[in-house]
Amino acid sequence: MTSILVVDDDQDLAEMLGIVLNGVGMEVDLVSRGDEAITVFRNNQPDLVLLDIMLPGADGIEVCKEIRKQSTRVPIVMLTAKSDTHDIVRGLEAGADDYMVKPFKPSELVARIRTRLRRAGGDINGHLTIGDLAIDVVEHSVSRNGKEIPLTRLEFDLLVALAKEPGRVFTREALLGEVWGYRHSTDTRLVNVHVQRLRAKIEHEAENPQIILTVRGVGYKAGGSGARN
Amino acid sequence: MTQLVQKFRRSFFLKVFTLTAVVSIILISFTGSNLYNRLEDGIYREKTASAIAEGRSALQFAEYRLTVATLSPTSDYKALVEEIVNSTNVSAEESGREVALFHSRGLKIKGIAPVNTSNFLKPESIPNQLREQVKKNDEISWERGNLRYVNNREIPGIFIGRVLDIPSLGKFEMYLAYDFVAQQRSVDLIGRSLWGTGLLLLILILLTASIVLRIAIKPIQIAAESAESITAGDLKRRMSINGEDETARLGIAFNQMATTLAEQINRLENLSRIQQRFVSDVSHELRTPLTTIRMAADVIGEAKQSFDPNVARSAELLQSQIEKFEQLLQDLLEVSRFDAEAATLNIARVDIANIVKKCVDDLSIVANEKESEIRFIEPEERILLDADSRRLERIIRNLLTNAIDHSEGRPVDVRIAESPDSVSIGVRDYGIGIEKQYWNRVFDRFWRADPSRSRIRGGTGLGLSIAKEDAALHNGDIKVWGEIGKGANFVLTLPKTSGDVIQEYSLSEYPQ
Repeated sequence: MTSILVVDDDQDLAEMLGIVLNGVGMEVDLVSRGDEAITVFRNNQPDLVLLDIMLPGADGIEVCKEIRKQSTRVPIVMLTAKSDTHDIVRGLEAGADDYMVKPFKPSELVARIRTRLRRAGGDINGHLTIGDLAIDVVEHSVSRNGKEIPLTRLEFDLLVALAKEPGRVFTREALLGEVWGYRHSTDTRLVNVHVQRLRAKIEHEAENPQIILTVRGVGYKAGGSGARN
Repeated sequence: MTQLVQKFRRSFFLKVFTLTAVVSIILISFTGSNLYNRLEDGIYREKTASAIAEGRSALQFAEYRLTVATLSPTSDYKALVEEIVNSTNVSAEESGREVALFHSRGLKIKGIAPVNTSNFLKPESIPNQLREQVKKNDEISWERGNLRYVNNREIPGIFIGRVLDIPSLGKFEMYLAYDFVAQQRSVDLIGRSLWGTGLLLLILILLTASIVLRIAIKPIQIAAESAESITAGDLKRRMSINGEDETARLGIAFNQMATTLAEQINRLENLSRIQQRFVSDVSHELRTPLTTIRMAADVIGEAKQSFDPNVARSAELLQSQIEKFEQLLQDLLEVSRFDAEAATLNIARVDIANIVKKCVDDLSIVANEKESEIRFIEPEERILLDADSRRLERIIRNLLTNAIDHSEGRPVDVRIAESPDSVSIGVRDYGIGIEKQYWNRVFDRFWRADPSRSRIRGGTGLGLSIAKEDAALHNGDIKVWGEIGKGANFVLTLPKTSGDVIQEYSLSEYPQ
């Protein structure tokens, strides 16, 4: 059973989230304080974290950073009452994969959670290479010269999406659909922030990217000798 | 010329300076000419008196000599007249006098010319008026005039004359002429000095005036400049204060005014910031409970098949009203962001037809529910422009929603047109329409043409106002046309390049 850690100081909202998620067959742990969240995360090892930004104890951004230190894998979705660019970008930069602005539709939340838990490249059995990186889709790992590079699930998904079709130019909207499961969103900040984070991990020089190339005015594409084998 | 007038009107210095100049010129010329006249008068009067005294004795002496001559039968009258006339044979300029002797008809001796003058003095020099006067009475008479010589020289002077009635000989008119050359010279000198002094005085006055004016105007100028920079937004600008005079008082008063003004503005800004902050906070605070309510409503909604009809309908209404509430909250937050000038643009190159098409597709369902239809005429060529796609989409969505709401089941036409620098999107409906007086009020927040109809309308009442603000962020504009019963036309025009202004409207809000 999928287990979700819900961190929100509003107890009623947390309880309601519990009801909704239980209704779709997910197990929920509720925590109302930021500092508690980290302990509970360590003990329970949930499959996904729903994290409010404004929290007593330690704020959502700090909690997010702390969780990322402990696990690169676990998907983190921020819940925010603020749709201001500043807070969202801060959350994404701290390691959140996605965000939802309150008030959201429960169905949308569930869809978003499912997208994040889906295994990327499920249709591909085997290995991909992009530049000098080897991607093992089954093992969910990326390595350079035999040395593994730890990526979050979302970063892995993003890399696989690009590497699957080397040379194809993806618009930001196409990536939002492919990786985040959005059909209509035009919030390209999500893509921009995560491409930056991914580049910081996989490029030799983040300033001069060779693996994920920017196509000015359009979007991104995988560079190098990407091929399926 | 007009430039000069303008300059004159705008310069206090020039005005006061000119006024001072005019007044000084009038005063100086008045006192100067007055002084000149008095001096001239005095000088001539003195000379006239001495000339008359001398003339009187000379006349008496001539009369005496002529009378004595009649006592001797052998007298040579011709020589005597010659002697009397040419008693000096230097001209009046050196001797100081000329003589003219006329004799009347019926003189009892012969050989004497009717007119005798000294030194070629023209007899016509003697003013006719004086001669008339002399002939009329026995008294001595005088008059000022010019001494004219045969060689056309002319000098100013005075003529003194009397009739010499010599018994047994007849009547003579004798005139003595005294020149005023020396007096004229003095008067000229005085005139020149007066002119010079006057001019010097004028220059000094104007110089003083300009210095004084500069000193006096300086603080006014500084005050004007300070006021201008405060008007331009520099609320920290103050005047520097020196001493304790009136200009210092002006400075102090000005600075106090500026401080009070800045405080007031600050206070108002604070108030408005607090208010915006409050709206934003309220909107944020409402979001969390609204999320809970929404989820609860959804859970209830999913189970509605098992409810009795009334409860099921209530669940439906609950859900739809929550949606509306949510939209209102979102709009309110957007408005507070505009008010706080915190709205930012996220510019990218977009295909306008794509965005419009997406909005049209999304809203077709809503249109169908209202038995209306959106007819989108797609442009033949791709039209690209710099825009924030989220905001652009929202503008079009708001215009479309508004048109569908007011369409009364008639179709809504959407068209796009471009000019080299701008793009226009027209949304036309054939429904209720708007009276001309309300064309621009439709953008006011929560404004409704007819309050009694408001309940059946969709939308939050903020849509068009947000659309207008979104357009303004892009340097764009929304124009409206409408007529009761004929519908309305909203035309959004945006510059193609971010930062540009609209050069040309490629669609008119007036329908063809």
